[in-house]
Amino acid sequence: MINTFFSDWFYLSIRNIKLIWRPIMALIPSLFMPIFFFVVNSLSLTAFSQVPGFPDVSYKDFIAPVAIFTAIFFSAGNAGIELVQDITGGYFKKLVIMPINKLSIVLAKLVEVAFQAIMQGLIMLVLLLLWGVNFESGVLGVITIFGILMLFAMAWSCIGMIIALRAQNARLVQSMFLLVFPLLSITTSAAPRELLPETFARATDLNPVTYIIEAIRALVLYGFGDPAITQGFIAAGVMFVVLVSFTVLSFRKALK
Amino acid sequence: MPKSTKSIIEVKNLTKVYPGGTKAVDSVSFQVREGEFFGFLGPNGAGKSTTMNMLVNLVKKTSGSVKIDGFEVTEHADEVYKRVGFAMQEVGLDEVATAREMMELHGRLYHLQPAEIKEQISKLLKLVELEKVADKFTSTYSGGMRRRFDLALSLIHKPKILFLDEPTQGLDPHARQLIWGHIRELNRQGMTIFLTTHFMEEAEQLCERIAIMDKGKIVTIGTPDELKKKHQSKNLEEVFLKTTGSNLANEEVNENASDPYIRARR
Repeated sequence: MINTFFSDWFYLSIRNIKLIWRPIMALIPSLFMPIFFFVVNSLSLTAFSQVPGFPDVSYKDFIAPVAIFTAIFFSAGNAGIELVQDITGGYFKKLVIMPINKLSIVLAKLVEVAFQAIMQGLIMLVLLLLWGVNFESGVLGVITIFGILMLFAMAWSCIGMIIALRAQNARLVQSMFLLVFPLLSITTSAAPRELLPETFARATDLNPVTYIIEAIRALVLYGFGDPAITQGFIAAGVMFVVLVSFTVLSFRKALK
Repeated sequence: MPKSTKSIIEVKNLTKVYPGGTKAVDSVSFQVREGEFFGFLGPNGAGKSTTMNMLVNLVKKTSGSVKIDGFEVTEHADEVYKRVGFAMQEVGLDEVATAREMMELHGRLYHLQPAEIKEQISKLLKLVELEKVADKFTSTYSGGMRRRFDLALSLIHKPKILFLDEPTQGLDPHARQLIWGHIRELNRQGMTIFLTTHFMEEAEQLCERIAIMDKGKIVTIGTPDELKKKHQSKNLEEVFLKTTGSNLANEEVNENASDPYIRARR
């Protein structure tokens, strides 16, 4: 039974991973916005780094982590839409009436999301390096960044999957994108906490995305040793555990 | 091939009540013999799809029992899944996968050996005449090709029973004839066929026994000749019209949530 679980999970993951680049153009939309904002902001807000209280880094390097994070933020939400398509198109039913471990259906979706996060993260990384961004923590830091991003991507994709399993409606799943902008804006993505108004700064403290961006930023700008890295891992980890648990519960309920 | 007298599908007092109180299936009982070509007819909203979905455990029954090849569906679901193939109304293909890739994946998920998968792919694609397009994305297939491929896909694990829910819906006469030919051949080889269709003439020609359902109940059951005699009708269509009556009001309600799987989970 345990052997078939892993083989079911493996083959379904392969199926899902193939969907990522078929067609390859489907990868572009979620990269466009982060690249656009990164280029525009890094060119137009250069002087912002001269403001007293701003860290001793260029604005381009300061917002580079946001560009990587945003690419994953946009793409991970697609898992829910794909799941709705599988449900309404009949493919999900085909899987349900197979003698497979049904949990592998959800776990294979998470593998797809993690894989896509790595791919899009790598594309963004190459573009940022070409743009002259310096990754202070080196290769090990990049691996750590991807670890945090994968945890977050899987957790974030679960929100779409929960809606997909409960509502089975693509438009409702798409409405989760409404959350992207407040979650991304009420953070330290554009300016360090010290330069934010007090009330806004407190609000950013309540947003888990802040800790993830700060962790990636610490790895890009300063290398290992900053407590923000641990905090980012904890934030992404807690989101992962809570949201994956809810997804599994929703999945079990959908099968009942 | 001589037909078996063993029942492969046994349904007793099967009932489905949806949340909100709608009784879609009302204490339905019938049996299907091994190797039989069984037709399950009824107007839209009669409860055919809900019944069929309960037979394969896609929709949970409210009460009653369903045994497939001796296995109770809810208690031994995996044993049932190994024995049934299901070509549904929604074809449900991976648009960006090729026919061969999909069949390989399904073979793996049914835990077949690689050599067996290869053999089945070759045999089934030949059966449905799709060998030449096996390596093209299924999104490039016509409606008829998609239906034929879905039929092949539902047979990858050599099921004993094939459930077909409106397998020729929306197809032109030529594509329909091709599908019926394939299904007839599968039955000739000994496979039990459980079919729902709105094509009365074809059901009359193909099915050995037919059950007609209306408003959640089986209103009549028997061989086509028995039904015509019993209801003093020239053909099956007349039997159908006499036994079911107008169901347009029900149809309108049920069309709002035509997929019993989705509706069951609301």
